[in-house]
Amino acid sequence: MAKIRISAYTDKLSVKPGETLSVMASADAVSTVRAELVRLIHGDETPGGPGFVEQKIASDIEREWKVGKQYIQKGNFIRVADPSMKLTAAGPFTLHAFIWPSMPDSGRQTIMGHWSVDATQGFALGINPSGRLEFWAGDGKTTDAVAAEVPLVARIWYFVAASFDPASGKVTLYQEPVLTRYNSLLSKIVPYEYRSHVVESIRVRPSPADKASFLIGGSSESNPRGSFVSQCFSGKIDRCGVQSTALDRAALDALRQAGAMPAANVLAYWDTTAGYTDRGIGDTVVDTGPNRLHGEGINRPVRGQTGYNWNGRSDSFRMAYGEYGGIEFHNDALTDCHWTPTLTLTLPADLRSGVYAVKLMAGEAEEYTPFFVRPITPRAPICLLIPTASYLAYANIATAIDGQISQGVTAQVGTFSDADIEVYKNNVEFGPSTYDLHNDGAGACYTSYRRPIINMRPKYRSGGVGGCWQFPADLSIVAWLEHHNYAYDVLTDEDVHREGAAALAPYKVVLNGTHNEYYSEKMMDATEDYLETGGRVCYLGANGYYWVVGFRDDEPWIMEVRKLEAGSRAWQAKAGEHYLASTGERSGLWRHRNRAPQKLTGVGFTAEGMDYAVPYVRMPDSYHRSVAWMFDGLGDGVIGDFGLVLGGAAGSEIDRYDLSLGTPPHTRLVATSEGFSDNYPLVQEEVYFMTPGLGGTQHPLVRADMTYFTTHNNGAVFSTGSIAFGSALPCKNFDNSVSKLLKNVVDAFSKPGKLPGAEFDQPENRWQA
Amino acid sequence: MSTGQQSTPATPEIGLVGRSRLLPPLRAHGDRTWRRWRVPFTQRGALDYITAFNPISLVAERRIVDKRLLWWLAALLVLVIVPPLFGNDSFIGAGTTFAMFSAINIVWMLTIGTAGIFSLATLAVVGVGAYGTAYLSVYWGFPWWAMWIAGPFFGAGFGVLIALPAIRLEGFYYALLTVGVAELCRVWVVQSRTLGAANNGLYGADGFVPADMSTTGGITLGYFLALAMMVAALALYTYVNGQRLGRLLRAAPEKHEAFAEALGINYRAARIQVFLISSAALGFVGAFYATLLHGASPSLFTMDQLLLLLAMIVIGGIGTTEGAVAGTLIVVLLDKVFIGLGPLRLVLIGAIMLGTVLFLRGGIFGVAAQFKNWTAKRRSERRAVSRGKGGIVMPEEATEIHDKQNIAIGLFQLRLRGELKALVNDALIEEHRTTPRSRRSDNLERVLNYFRMAPMAEKYGVLMVKPFAEYRIVAISGRRGVPPRAVDDQMFTTPEDADHGVFLKRVQDLMES
Repeated sequence: MAKIRISAYTDKLSVKPGETLSVMASADAVSTVRAELVRLIHGDETPGGPGFVEQKIASDIEREWKVGKQYIQKGNFIRVADPSMKLTAAGPFTLHAFIWPSMPDSGRQTIMGHWSVDATQGFALGINPSGRLEFWAGDGKTTDAVAAEVPLVARIWYFVAASFDPASGKVTLYQEPVLTRYNSLLSKIVPYEYRSHVVESIRVRPSPADKASFLIGGSSESNPRGSFVSQCFSGKIDRCGVQSTALDRAALDALRQAGAMPAANVLAYWDTTAGYTDRGIGDTVVDTGPNRLHGEGINRPVRGQTGYNWNGRSDSFRMAYGEYGGIEFHNDALTDCHWTPTLTLTLPADLRSGVYAVKLMAGEAEEYTPFFVRPITPRAPICLLIPTASYLAYANIATAIDGQISQGVTAQVGTFSDADIEVYKNNVEFGPSTYDLHNDGAGACYTSYRRPIINMRPKYRSGGVGGCWQFPADLSIVAWLEHHNYAYDVLTDEDVHREGAAALAPYKVVLNGTHNEYYSEKMMDATEDYLETGGRVCYLGANGYYWVVGFRDDEPWIMEVRKLEAGSRAWQAKAGEHYLASTGERSGLWRHRNRAPQKLTGVGFTAEGMDYAVPYVRMPDSYHRSVAWMFDGLGDGVIGDFGLVLGGAAGSEIDRYDLSLGTPPHTRLVATSEGFSDNYPLVQEEVYFMTPGLGGTQHPLVRADMTYFTTHNNGAVFSTGSIAFGSALPCKNFDNSVSKLLKNVVDAFSKPGKLPGAEFDQPENRWQA
Repeated sequence: MSTGQQSTPATPEIGLVGRSRLLPPLRAHGDRTWRRWRVPFTQRGALDYITAFNPISLVAERRIVDKRLLWWLAALLVLVIVPPLFGNDSFIGAGTTFAMFSAINIVWMLTIGTAGIFSLATLAVVGVGAYGTAYLSVYWGFPWWAMWIAGPFFGAGFGVLIALPAIRLEGFYYALLTVGVAELCRVWVVQSRTLGAANNGLYGADGFVPADMSTTGGITLGYFLALAMMVAALALYTYVNGQRLGRLLRAAPEKHEAFAEALGINYRAARIQVFLISSAALGFVGAFYATLLHGASPSLFTMDQLLLLLAMIVIGGIGTTEGAVAGTLIVVLLDKVFIGLGPLRLVLIGAIMLGTVLFLRGGIFGVAAQFKNWTAKRRSERRAVSRGKGGIVMPEEATEIHDKQNIAIGLFQLRLRGELKALVNDALIEEHRTTPRSRRSDNLERVLNYFRMAPMAEKYGVLMVKPFAEYRIVAISGRRGVPPRAVDDQMFTTPEDADHGVFLKRVQDLMES
């Protein structure tokens, strides 16, 4: 019998009691699954901790549910609804487009057309398996094709076209480079012959299949699993269209040179730059021709990329819409599985805020789909802000198995679970994270939670870092709150992004997760406004508030990031493509938009390594009465020489105090880490000249700093400067120095009014020798 | 200048590589519009071009993928001009025999090559066509052209008879059966009065040579008609082999019928079809034979003729038309032109056949491919030796490496490995075992850095079978869709043990490199 496997996701991550939530599941080798609603307390199963802890919550989903195998449409393409079949009339026509193929030699790809792969009906302009431009046509019995003479060269802009006259069967294939100093991989000095012009008559007259659609970047394919789009294009397509005449070469030359909609005979002209706004670009590709046959991008093709006519002077689509007509397609992109719901759950009205999951079981197999229940009315003083944006960024990260740099970064041998291998085996089944590369080598800038996320599971151990990371690690903070019986609510990044500071305002103190690396502008603003008005934040992680990300208001499940020229980045956006198509903002590091994390938290990213973590040592500042209360009952010794992740409280990724980056001037450096190994090198954005000795044993800036400062209206920020901190909390049954320290802070922060020690603000007596 | 501290491995003898060409290349059309012509009723041109970028110059060069058509045209030109101009009557006669046997062999290639059916009744079908049409002419007064029309019917009719068992019988048994059928025919015509048992053949049929034509003229006419028949056979072969029927048959060779059937190929129908087509064609050859020689002879059914025919295609190579024709040419030359050699010539034919079978794979037209394979094997052996000696990429090998940086990286890695090997000792290994999750010596970190930055293909990883209970070492594929493979069945109980297990493997790989 085949191995049972369940994969699932929920339509929402943040819900309130009484709301409904759908669970989309797919299962192999089983036809029903048993469901339970569970509250998740702890995930990390590392010995020395509480192990996995969940609580079953009685609910009406507790029964067997029918489940089947559900399939996924991957790949970018644009679907053009053409109900009156205007684009597939029997007369002569011309297909034309500007293209920048990124993988021309990777099998058949469709640039545009109305082609049914299974019925071999219709026509398309595309790239054949030998990497040559090709026009093909079929009538359901016979197919025929005309191919260009020379192969397409990767990452070069071309204008390509095919015209067809059914009366004579004559096909005119047109391929001319539109290479400039700026727009392509290669300079014009390379003596390639890019051009090809072929005129040939074919025997077949295309008869498009009714059930196929006109597609840009793909072809229709029906198979026993359903109707899909295959032969997806990889690369960029700029302005393109369909003419109702068979243009000859001279007319196509004119079309290439004009780069605009022709004056007559337009069936469709997709001006890919139409509809841009200063605040972002949607998925609709506008047909500015008379028939208004707009297209819809599937799986978020990347809009606003440099076009064939990019002149290198404008840095963003916002500066020159007309030069940014490139739509980038990837044949493995995925932003929504579109599975049908397996079950719908109405949350009990009295459900307390917290971390929950629908647990699906069959045989030995189980699947958890976590979600976060926020209160209908906030009452607790403490808020745990779940860094869902960062979960999204790392969703299904495969670098341990797929990235050469991984073992070098983490200083570990990659350790994989069955789930990792299943997904990898199925061609990165659930799509890439923002750390992975698309099949053509481009970094993935979109990620989504409308797909199973194998590493957002309570027991998941990250292959690269050899332990719990993000969601399962954040459960250690949940377990700590539960252990101390704190009254707390749970919020997600999504709520903060949507509602701003208002979402945080009801709380005395907000606890971050272990790694809140990805922040939208609204999330940054909310945090800042909350702190200004007296809010208190415990920043229990590191490398937080780091990347600029964007969401579209109507699709919060999809996040966008562009990795720019600095930062610890798995890839780098191409020149001129540094702005988020979702919002129009410059992406990259918040630091490079003058909002370094130090300005909000006192500390910011300084190093990472995963060989081992170290304890903190108290700094002289910690003996000042204004902060010494944090260390009540701790003594003078090291803090946190234990931990479920890397064996210490300071480590994994670490942050540092730095006045030059905006650490508030009155910030107290209460503790710092012991020394790290050379597997913690200073981060790249700190390095202006490369020198030897950037590792932890030689560079003084490689350290985790624990800081504290106050803000307006009794607000304050306590920062730990370490990802491993949270995973040290549950050690020794929560009875340990890290736990005590945090308890002192949270107890103080969750009380209204003046903070302890606030009165000790006078200079020391000078006569005290 | 070498500092003397790093020694580049001893360089093997390096010679210059690089070849110039004799003829200027055909360039891509580039800016010129290429009006591509197609052979009527097909989807392709007469010659198959491919234009590709020359990796050395980046020039887009056009070359003809398959030059066989040009060779055929040249060969046919020689055949049209040489024998009538330079040969005597007997030489032209031998040419006629050659052309006729070529036609037979080309058609036979459809069954024995394309369909993979070992039918040895080929000559028998020709014989039936010859006897049948001769009979019609002798007894019913058919003129030569009517005999030509009737020939294919005799062939096809006889073809049906021998096609049926082909569906059920396997290679060797079917071959035996067809030999038996041929023998049966021979016995029949030798004993049948009607078919000319007394005259050692049925003679007196009409001929296509006009009565008032000279002897040489008649022989020349016969030669040209035979040549035309050969060209027609070629056309038939190309058509059948290159179209749907040929593809079906080639997809269903002997011993793979079940597989083909699973793919939805009705190979039985395809085989019968090709049998009928080739038998009809052979029937026509028989009719031609009868009108050329004014009758038919029992020698058509004899074993020695069959063996000669077999020699022709074995020498030329089964599966290609050029092989069939070249083999025929060699055998006919020896048999008919060097007739003065006597029985020795048969020994010669046998020797050539034996030599072909012993030393060549795929007859004389397989020689080029065989030579190419042999040189490729020699080349890779030589490269393996040079790499084993010190990782040096030879200049000739470098021409095939697209990303030249890989050569530099290879050289770098070689140096680095040399340095690291010097650092590895028992103490270092023991240090690794005893210091998980803590500071390590610079030497150990240097070795580990090298291991960690290895390329993904075959890079070691750990499979967590059961957390904190069961770990195994795997090797990553480096290709999406291909899961890591288990390296061995060693089991570790802690992540630290597994990590050290990987370290030991890597050290071993390093020391063995």
